[in-house]
Amino acid sequence: MAVPVGTPADAPVGAPMGAPAGAPGSAPMSAPAQPVRRVSAWHFVRLKLRVMGNNFRGQGWRVALFVLGSFFGLWFAVSAFFGLAAPGLAGNDRYALLVAAFAGGLTVLGWLLLPLVFFGVDETLDPARFALLPLPRRTLVTGLFAAALVSVPTIAVLVALSGLVVTAGVFGGWSAAAVAAVGVVCGVLLCVAAARAVTSAFATMLRSRRVRDLAAVLLAVVAALLGPLQIAGLAAIQDVDWNRLTGVATVIGWTPLGAPWTAGIDVAQGRVWAAPLKLLITVATIAALLVWWSRSLESAMVGAASSGPAQAKPSVTGGVVAQFFPRAAGWLRRDRFGALVAREARYWWRDARRRANLITIAVVGLFVPVMVNLGGQGFTLDSEEGFSLAGETSPALVSLSMLFVGLLAAVTLANQFGFDGSAYAANVVAGVPGRLELRARMAAFSLYVLPMLAVVAVAIALVLGEPAWIGFMAGTLVATYGAGLAVNSFVSVLGAYSLPETSNPFAMNSGAGLIKSLLTFVAMIATAALAVPMVIAAALLGDAWLWLGLPLGLAYGVGAALLGGYLAGDVLDRRQPELLAAVTPRR
Amino acid sequence: MVEYDQRRSRESFSGLAERFAEPDTVGYMTGEHPALALRGLAKSFDGKIAVAGVDLDVPAGSFYGLLGPNGAGKTTTLSMAVGLLRPDAGGAWVLGRDVWADPVAAKQLLGVMPDGVRLFDRLSGGELLAYHGLLRGMDPAVVDKRAAELLDVLALADAGRTLVVDYSAGMKKKIGLACALLHGPRLLVLDEPFEAVDPVSAALIRDILQRYVAGGGTVVFSSHVMEVVQRLCTHVAILAEGTIKRVGTLEQVRGDRSLEEVFVEVVGGRTATGEELAWLSQ
Repeated sequence: MAVPVGTPADAPVGAPMGAPAGAPGSAPMSAPAQPVRRVSAWHFVRLKLRVMGNNFRGQGWRVALFVLGSFFGLWFAVSAFFGLAAPGLAGNDRYALLVAAFAGGLTVLGWLLLPLVFFGVDETLDPARFALLPLPRRTLVTGLFAAALVSVPTIAVLVALSGLVVTAGVFGGWSAAAVAAVGVVCGVLLCVAAARAVTSAFATMLRSRRVRDLAAVLLAVVAALLGPLQIAGLAAIQDVDWNRLTGVATVIGWTPLGAPWTAGIDVAQGRVWAAPLKLLITVATIAALLVWWSRSLESAMVGAASSGPAQAKPSVTGGVVAQFFPRAAGWLRRDRFGALVAREARYWWRDARRRANLITIAVVGLFVPVMVNLGGQGFTLDSEEGFSLAGETSPALVSLSMLFVGLLAAVTLANQFGFDGSAYAANVVAGVPGRLELRARMAAFSLYVLPMLAVVAVAIALVLGEPAWIGFMAGTLVATYGAGLAVNSFVSVLGAYSLPETSNPFAMNSGAGLIKSLLTFVAMIATAALAVPMVIAAALLGDAWLWLGLPLGLAYGVGAALLGGYLAGDVLDRRQPELLAAVTPRR
Repeated sequence: MVEYDQRRSRESFSGLAERFAEPDTVGYMTGEHPALALRGLAKSFDGKIAVAGVDLDVPAGSFYGLLGPNGAGKTTTLSMAVGLLRPDAGGAWVLGRDVWADPVAAKQLLGVMPDGVRLFDRLSGGELLAYHGLLRGMDPAVVDKRAAELLDVLALADAGRTLVVDYSAGMKKKIGLACALLHGPRLLVLDEPFEAVDPVSAALIRDILQRYVAGGGTVVFSSHVMEVVQRLCTHVAILAEGTIKRVGTLEQVRGDRSLEEVFVEVVGGRTATGEELAWLSQ
């Protein structure tokens, strides 16, 4: 990781504030009429590299994780590169447009949606930090945009999609390759701009408590767009009607989703006139996205500085204890456990970051099973979790999709202490026993998740027209969720990391981004391994499983969660202060 | 309005501080041990020494001020003393109970208000107090009663259901203090209790702390505001560069000079600027 080594002139953003310090005895209390040095995007890039470098300083394990993450990213990128270059390498002209349009389109969609659903967006440079600096909005947006380009995923996507350049070059020679290269670079810019604009807009919306319901609906709609596209794509593939598919690809090629990627192919196939138009579409889209981003960026900066005046709400009658317990948790005893559960339950709703996670679970929990089972095959969220079982839906396939929902719900707790940040100090000072702490956190989260899982089981069973399956579907959900709680108890105690103290629910530190995806990945694999017996049972036991599924699943899930909390609680007792240090943001 | 609040708080206050200062652990003799004892506490971060071996005895019933410039290691020392940060070496004892070997016993006697640490601020003031009280294993009825009194005295009752995250800085300090006091600790450890607090609130906090000490409690707090320390403290320790430079009763440390003079001399700060900032004067 090459980080520019500091020179005094290296404080990039402060540069315009710096009066000409080199001139001794000059009279310059007056503000310079013009910034001494213009702030360019390059300053932001250097600042980002510097922040990343400083994050690594003295943290060997972070460097190791970063190297590991970069390695995997590039490995995926290189394999994708050869996949996309395949039509060219095989000399098969027919698939060139298809591959470019679909692979490129899915990439853009992925950049658009994955940050919302899974990974968050890298906020190494938090826009709010720039609020006080005299920077024009245009400079700020281009700077932040340039800084956002400096990341492993961007490079990985650039490498992967360069496969299209090879394909274009094979069929159309150097000119086509050159156009394809321009197209791919523009496409990557489009991806990053889309990711930034969408997350920024959503963050602004989710921050305001009043529009949170609207935001939930919007997120659901965005996720719902996945469905029709997927079905159309799958239907097209199943028909193997290449002409029709080529037609779809042509249409996609004229939308911003496919335009940058197909320009080179068009040149290669003799439609030279199309290339400039498509590049124009791309550039216009990027510009529009950046304008949109700069709008929401402004409100993000203002919102971070002040969350508005405090409105005193009328105080309620009754004691503070009665007021503290939410109605849904009213049955809890008024003791330590009850207090922990009540506080967590309040936080899952009041903390925008946590609420965003709950919404994700609800949306994905309903959509993935529907896609998997009605689409028949291949909802490829990522290559590891791809369900490629063909044909009719079966108990095993349904169990597999339930397993995915269960582990997705549980993995939300992988950094449960990171949500608290330094506020966790209160529990350390009070000396809360680890086992109590973990059990209470599981219980509070389950107050929200178990009803959701019940809805998922019932809804999916009805959609599939197999009401008799409700039992084992719910059993699999609970078993996976319970096993996931156990696994994530350990992950959250041992692998906690701090989240930045902004109100952007999607924000995370760049170092943490990789760590999070790796830890999440490990937690998901471990959970899946623990829950796989439920799928095997569904495949082997036949009708008996319809009756045994629910009781066995419940017992397995509850048992696993309790055992996990028991064992991980012991670990927590021994490293409370270290955990606190890990989740406290460094300032 | 303010005067009225002040007066009312003083009145409703008389019984409160004494009650909080009563030992919750029956039969525990405060005379046997210092309220807080630190031995050889040391901590370094990434090879940089933050605290280099601090020894300190805080007598029970004292009002102890820990003075130091920014970055002297005050917060690090106090964090290690109350069990928030594991020391590289050394130990801490609260009324004879080892904070790191027997944390449960030690933490029961402790009330802590850390600085630079968030509260669970998505709760309202009342909810936060309920949480802290129940977390300390208190009877819900007692929590209700004490919380109502504290909110009233600290003039936070008007905030109603406003979330702590929307409180002003001074209100956050006050609710933090209330959380630390709620379970009636024997020892109160406060990190920068007077930072970012307006004069009215500061007077109120001072008053509460003085009554708490008068009722037999012990207060340790860090600060770099000389004036407050000079008015409140019975004992003072000056911490700089991670070590204790001066320690003793206020009179011993101060001698016949002002505390500020002693402090600046010990810390070795620069008190006047030379020619460098000439451009400041136009």
